[in-house]
Amino acid sequence: MTDEPLLSVRNLKKHYPITEGILSKQVGAAKAVDGISFDIEEGETLGLVGESGCGKSTAASSIIRLEEATDGEVIFNGGGRQGRTRNQDGSHPNDITQFEDEELKAFRRDAQMIFQDPSSSLDPRMTVGSSVAEMLLVHGMTDKERRREIVEDLLERVGLEAEYYDRYPHEFSGGQKQRIALARALVLNPEFIVADEPVSALDVSIRAEILSLLNDIQEEFGLSMLFISHDMSVVREVCDRVAVMYLGEIVEIGDTEDVFSDPQHPYTEALLSAIPTPDPTLDRENIELKGTVPSPISPPSGCRFHTRCHKVIQSGEYDLEQSDWRALLTFRDKVQTGEIDPSSIRNALSGEDMDPSDVDDETVKTQLRVEFDLPETLSDRDAESTLQTAIDALAEGRIEDANEELSVFSTPCEKEEPAETDHGNGHLSSCLRNQSAAERAEPAPADD
Amino acid sequence: MAADKQTFDEVDWGQITGESDRELSPNFLILLAGTAMLLLIAAFDYFFVTGTYDAAIGMDFGNQYTPTFDIIGWGYDVTQLDWLFAFSLLLFGAYVVLPLYQNPRMSSYYWREMKRNRPAMVSLGWLIFIFVIGVLGPVVIAAPRADLAVQYQPPVLLSIDTVYPIRCVGPVINGACQGTLQYPLGTTGDGKDIFNIIVYGMQISMKIGFIATLIVVSIGTAVGTVAAYAGGLVDEVLMRYVDVQQSFPTFILYLLILYIWGASLFLFVVLFGLFAWEGTARYVRSNALAKTEEEYIKAVQLSGASTYRIVRAHIVPNTASSIITDITLLVPTFILAEAQFAFLGLGDSTIPSWGVLIAAGRSDLAFAPWITLAPGMFLFFTILAFNFLGDALLDALNPEAEAESE
Repeated sequence: MTDEPLLSVRNLKKHYPITEGILSKQVGAAKAVDGISFDIEEGETLGLVGESGCGKSTAASSIIRLEEATDGEVIFNGGGRQGRTRNQDGSHPNDITQFEDEELKAFRRDAQMIFQDPSSSLDPRMTVGSSVAEMLLVHGMTDKERRREIVEDLLERVGLEAEYYDRYPHEFSGGQKQRIALARALVLNPEFIVADEPVSALDVSIRAEILSLLNDIQEEFGLSMLFISHDMSVVREVCDRVAVMYLGEIVEIGDTEDVFSDPQHPYTEALLSAIPTPDPTLDRENIELKGTVPSPISPPSGCRFHTRCHKVIQSGEYDLEQSDWRALLTFRDKVQTGEIDPSSIRNALSGEDMDPSDVDDETVKTQLRVEFDLPETLSDRDAESTLQTAIDALAEGRIEDANEELSVFSTPCEKEEPAETDHGNGHLSSCLRNQSAAERAEPAPADD
Repeated sequence: MAADKQTFDEVDWGQITGESDRELSPNFLILLAGTAMLLLIAAFDYFFVTGTYDAAIGMDFGNQYTPTFDIIGWGYDVTQLDWLFAFSLLLFGAYVVLPLYQNPRMSSYYWREMKRNRPAMVSLGWLIFIFVIGVLGPVVIAAPRADLAVQYQPPVLLSIDTVYPIRCVGPVINGACQGTLQYPLGTTGDGKDIFNIIVYGMQISMKIGFIATLIVVSIGTAVGTVAAYAGGLVDEVLMRYVDVQQSFPTFILYLLILYIWGASLFLFVVLFGLFAWEGTARYVRSNALAKTEEEYIKAVQLSGASTYRIVRAHIVPNTASSIITDITLLVPTFILAEAQFAFLGLGDSTIPSWGVLIAAGRSDLAFAPWITLAPGMFLFFTILAFNFLGDALLDALNPEAEAESE
């Protein structure tokens, strides 16, 4: 045994090209996964969490090479590959993304995957037994009796009965199907399993059973696991370490206990605040993330989370309530993208029996503030006057002018990409707030 | 757990050296053996049975009439169409009937689903009847022969004015010739037994159905899955060819060939089979594309299985239900097309098909409507049965949809 991790992912990227025209000219790329790195030790479970569309599943399928990664390395040291060192040209012999056909097929025996939807992860026209046994056949076990014996034994081990071998998927419940899927993932005796939201399609009552089965199996066979989920409470149950992903990047990674008790990234805080607590009297800040995940085709500059971050850093000149600052930046972004349309507000206010042009500018201005959670007056006088000018311009329909006025509000978060901060014990986060003032290009204002 | 029991974590994969993930299934072996046998007999027919000299009438038939099984005393000349028919029956047996037997659980599930649909069950019964009688009937029943002496005999329970038939086989009551059991469905204007023609017509309809289906399904499925799985340029080229073929006037090509070489059923079936697979190919392609996104396909890809295996063992079986439904709509169109061509006089008028019979009775509609009506009814009910069956199969063959709706 060596001290190298079983799996180490380095700067993995998966970009989907966006093409146009008959010649399929590439005009851009959706950066589903944009440079993630982590390690998984032997027997360890790493949780990968994040909202829908943040690239978790793409990361998984790139790691296990269901899809070809665009860039980066995935070094797998299992299956008797331990101790190999890098080649002269810097490439690694254990890099999954570079495996040739034969080695890839051998790797398939070492790493398997459990999918999210049990109802679509089994071929409806094959008996479940043959679905599982097919894995053995593909890898050259031509002895039919032996295949059947192995699969029947395995079905019993995952809590089913050997007789189920000849049944079809439609005869099983979701939980049972997921057990069969687990059996299929196990049958080649892998060392590493990717579980892509294995319980999110199941009833709450069955979740616990499947999770404890996963846990038992993992302990019995010393499996390592990459556990993908958007459910923080499940992750807390299952994972030794957790990596939080936002828009194709990992924003925080660390031991589950550390991350849950002392989250360092505002996004992690927001995710954690969404876990329901059994105690209704417990006073806890409920952080609501506004808006949707931005498009991975043109991710926001600087810190990718700055468009939604509730702790977005204020620029040095102002001293506002944090919520007002957030509202102000959101307002600025909406004006910039042209999503604010004063005439439609006018239309909405006028109702059916009034002419939209009769709605006076004052009403429109008040409505704009209400709609974007802006207070009647900002506590900072400079900021307030700028905002007032911008709103005036908007009400008069001069969107360009409003845009120009608002552009004085800016945050360091959109200018600078945060570097990783080490909080000890392998707990890393990528947030400008955690970097000391000296490290940052902009002077840090007090933000709390 | 018994010590000698095989378990998954004790498999030494280093020892298992088998490279191939292909197994010869019994179905394939049966198909192989059957095809070999067919080829042997066909070769025998081609090389050894050439020309017949009939001593009784002192005439050499040359290659006009070559009874393949003359040795065992069966004077039937096996035609190209028969070879194709036999092959398609073989395929049908090996890949439709045998799997139903091999997977009793799935079959009984289909059966339960089918049973709910009464019209479909009646249709299935009708089609099995047509199939069995059509295949076996011509072996025991003599081919229809013209006999002017018994022309225009009415069917049982019906009668005809004695001015039409030359001689009335049954009793004559009040100047009307009554039908007899000797000609249960009556006879045509040239004295052919309509019952015989209908039985022979069943076989012709079944041949049209099976052979055209064989051609359509094999080409359509191959093109569809290849296009879906290869993608890119291959997909583009194949699908654009499908577009071209779809707009190709098969009917005019048929007319052209017909004027050059003359009409034959073989020509009809092969030509229309070869020019009718576009719809199936498209159908299969879109279905295969949808299936490729399914997680079970990803799971099989993750097992390291070859593309051939994924397509053959997962994509094709899972598109089978839509292919079968597609077939049940295609077969009636072929049978109907044959009848239409025969009616227009564009078919082979020497064969005893339903369409030819319908056309033959055209001029006698006024006094002997049964000549047209009897085959017309058979044609109508057969096509109706296919449509009902297709509808029921669509519901029954989709366990997924069923499980989701429950």
